[in-house]
Amino acid sequence: MMDSAPLVFYTLAALITFSSIMVVAARTPVISALFLVLDLFLLACVYASLNANFVAVIQVLVYAGAILVLFLFVIMMLNVPRVRSKPRIKALDGLLITMVMVAFLYMLYRVIAQYLSPLPVESAGGSNTEAVGKLLFVEHLWAFELASFLILLAMVASIVITKKRAAP
Amino acid sequence: MGLNFLHDHNLLALAIVIAKVVFLLVLLLQIPPLMIWLERRAPALMQRRRGPNRVGLFKWRLWGLLQSLADAIKLIFKEEIAPAGAHKALFQLAPLLGVIPAFVIVAVIPFGQTITLANGMTIPLSLTQLDVGFLFILAFSSLGVYSVAVAGWASNSKYSLLGSLRASAQMISYEIPLGLSLIPIVLIYGTFDLNSIVAAQEQVWGVVKAPLSFVIFLVCMFAETNRAPFDMAEGEAELVAGFHTEYGSTKFAAFFLSEYVVMFVLSCLAATLFFGGWQIPFISHAWLLATFGTAVAALLGFGALLLKAAFFMWLYVWVRWTLPRFRYDRLMALGWKFLLPLGLFNILLTSVILGSY
Repeated sequence: MMDSAPLVFYTLAALITFSSIMVVAARTPVISALFLVLDLFLLACVYASLNANFVAVIQVLVYAGAILVLFLFVIMMLNVPRVRSKPRIKALDGLLITMVMVAFLYMLYRVIAQYLSPLPVESAGGSNTEAVGKLLFVEHLWAFELASFLILLAMVASIVITKKRAAP
Repeated sequence: MGLNFLHDHNLLALAIVIAKVVFLLVLLLQIPPLMIWLERRAPALMQRRRGPNRVGLFKWRLWGLLQSLADAIKLIFKEEIAPAGAHKALFQLAPLLGVIPAFVIVAVIPFGQTITLANGMTIPLSLTQLDVGFLFILAFSSLGVYSVAVAGWASNSKYSLLGSLRASAQMISYEIPLGLSLIPIVLIYGTFDLNSIVAAQEQVWGVVKAPLSFVIFLVCMFAETNRAPFDMAEGEAELVAGFHTEYGSTKFAAFFLSEYVVMFVLSCLAATLFFGGWQIPFISHAWLLATFGTAVAALLGFGALLLKAAFFMWLYVWVRWTLPRFRYDRLMALGWKFLLPLGLFNILLTSVILGSY
């Protein structure tokens, strides 16, 4: 019996590509957001198939379970209407799209050429929670603390900007 | 771990996995009817009414236990209706989005110590053993919010939408103290693996070592499942029935199925993390193994876990019919201004105590 790892990977990759396209192609914003959830969830499945259980679970917990819920929440609150008209492609847009596509295909070609050898599926093995913890809190402690400070700053800033001033 | 079972070509191992899946599925499907029956009989007891006590088999009434079966049959054969202006696909999908995560999280609950057969083969008594055990449960129980959010939006009804907005805000808010309340457990036992946590509770239960964690966990448990006194999502006095106002037939039943299954899993998790899981108090598992053999010891352990979980299920019903509903802003204030700081303080306290020993 053949090794099932490549099969699992390619199935997941195909599904991820499909749902990523649907994120931009869907006309209803809520559907777009839900495909993004699916996208991130499938990405977590890829992590799990590489035995990176901790990263996979955190991916689901943070992105799919929390951040995307807030996306959905805002879309539902604002009641963003469905996009009705089909986007019209003008000549200049067509040129731009062609250029981007060519650049993308070239990059794709380079990547495929580089990895034409069998897929390097290396499993970390054992518990990787400890490894992640050591990296974050021992080796990169300062970077970690600085990043959390930055995020806090951004949060405070957004509250200050959106806060209504009391009527004089 | 992970997808390792795909690489295992042992047919017997595959058969055991399938047997475990079927067993758990059948077990979980028994819970909602039983709980719905309890949820009608228990308040009747409290309010000196009789409750449903008629539907039985032939001349045996069975305390009305078959009422739930009759209800289920009625719901299944009811006509499927989607309201005008509803988003058809999402309206169908929403109940499913709740049922799937609810069933997935049961996979990591340990129902007993790993069994070793005579030929040296080991059978862990949980569907899968993950080194990130309860993070997995938190991750998948947080996905349950999509069911509520999508159901409310797809129904094209203002009551549904209001109910689902309330519920999703509530579920995201209470996930944070829920997660924080579990960090002291990780600190104390030094692992995310549920089986090792149960094994470490042989002498002293987790609730003794982390009482504050248990209190926070208990409150969040009620909020995460949208149960009274935190049932803002439904709030029948204000919102008709909240997010499932427009639902009927099988899809309505599916919402109940996922609600009760999530309640059961969180009850199991509470028993596992704070009350010794499958261990029977004052009786050592090694002694049970030596005296009664593997099979009986495993069954007794399974029974112990079910009993502990049953207590929390009863608590859900008990609290629902005892306490009035919270006001929405009070609920948010409790989550963010009380439970969150308390959870952070609890982590600090636990770290200081652990560090000084």
